[in-house]
Amino acid sequence: MTELAATLLAYVRTHHPRSLAGVEEARQLDPDRFDGYAELLLGWAGRVLGDRAIPRTVDAFVEFTMDVNMAQGRYEASGSYEHKSYRECYDAVYADKAAMDDYLWGVYLTNFLWAHHLELSAFFETRFVAKLPERAALIELAPGHGGWGLVAMHRRPDARLEGFDISPSSIEIARALAAAAGLAGRARYELRDALDLTSHPAGSVDACICNFLVEHLEQPDRLFEVIEHVLAPGGKAFVSGALTAAQVDHIYEFRRESELVLLAERHSMRVLEALSVHPQRTLPRARFLPRSMSLIVQKRTREHA
Amino acid sequence: MPTTTIDSLATVFQQLFDDDELIVTRETTAADVVGWDSLTHVTLMLTIEKQFAIRFKSSQVASLKNVGELADLIDSLRK
Repeated sequence: MTELAATLLAYVRTHHPRSLAGVEEARQLDPDRFDGYAELLLGWAGRVLGDRAIPRTVDAFVEFTMDVNMAQGRYEASGSYEHKSYRECYDAVYADKAAMDDYLWGVYLTNFLWAHHLELSAFFETRFVAKLPERAALIELAPGHGGWGLVAMHRRPDARLEGFDISPSSIEIARALAAAAGLAGRARYELRDALDLTSHPAGSVDACICNFLVEHLEQPDRLFEVIEHVLAPGGKAFVSGALTAAQVDHIYEFRRESELVLLAERHSMRVLEALSVHPQRTLPRARFLPRSMSLIVQKRTREHA
Repeated sequence: MPTTTIDSLATVFQQLFDDDELIVTRETTAADVVGWDSLTHVTLMLTIEKQFAIRFKSSQVASLKNVGELADLIDSLRK
């Protein structure tokens, strides 16, 4: 076990014993990948947050996971997501910078502390990042903390990335992590609505990353319009979404995997690969299985190709 | 004699963990109760919300140390 992974587990054991089983489950799934992410993501966070890195990120992770599970419990009781509009989410979450910072640091470690997201992280790296063309130009839509795109840039020293997010907290944290990772020269972030890229040159990027934005949107088609616009023909996108998985700011309730597939196909994309994952344990007598699904899609070069 | 918050919580705990002999005090922690993990904690909090007609913020309940802190939180929300 690596030093940061051991320190992480010790902190969870001492300060958040109720969360230990879930974290150990993730490590048991793929110990080498878990430890690798601990070194990478906690290493970067350490250069941004100093000695506070593990308490800051792990406390935020535990609170975020609690928030997600409480939202899921309320979803089970009511049968629908709590908020239906961006405005409601803005008032509940986005307007408060401290809450947004907590939220983003909380999400940061889910890429490997949630066992099912560790599976998605492996899928992202092995099936998408590894297969990017040489010297790929990427766009990341709503990077949040920036972790996904930065892992891609770390693994692909030949690639470069521009990230666009509507949240000032996101831009601040993503830029700080990029600098900490030594990637600021190749990963640049701009405060801009990711859905407002119609002025971005059409067909100008080789690949696109967009993880867990689509369920936050009132009109998910708009996201795929943007991806269709920026991708060069033959270019690929890695897009992830949540299905029957509640969170305080989830708006669009996808229920079936096919809904995401059909969204992509409506916008000149064909689905090359897909992976739908779920946590091993759910709330008792749950009607809904919370799932995360990632698609690797390719922009068609011809009507049926 | 009025039922204290701890007494009410004891009943909730006994029903949730299916153990009529479970003893719950202010000092009780997750380490004292078999099966009290993060997911059970969520179920416990949602049950308590319904029972006491209150609503928790996740930041309030994610790091509760013991049942005493939980009881104090419930009392503060009911005022």
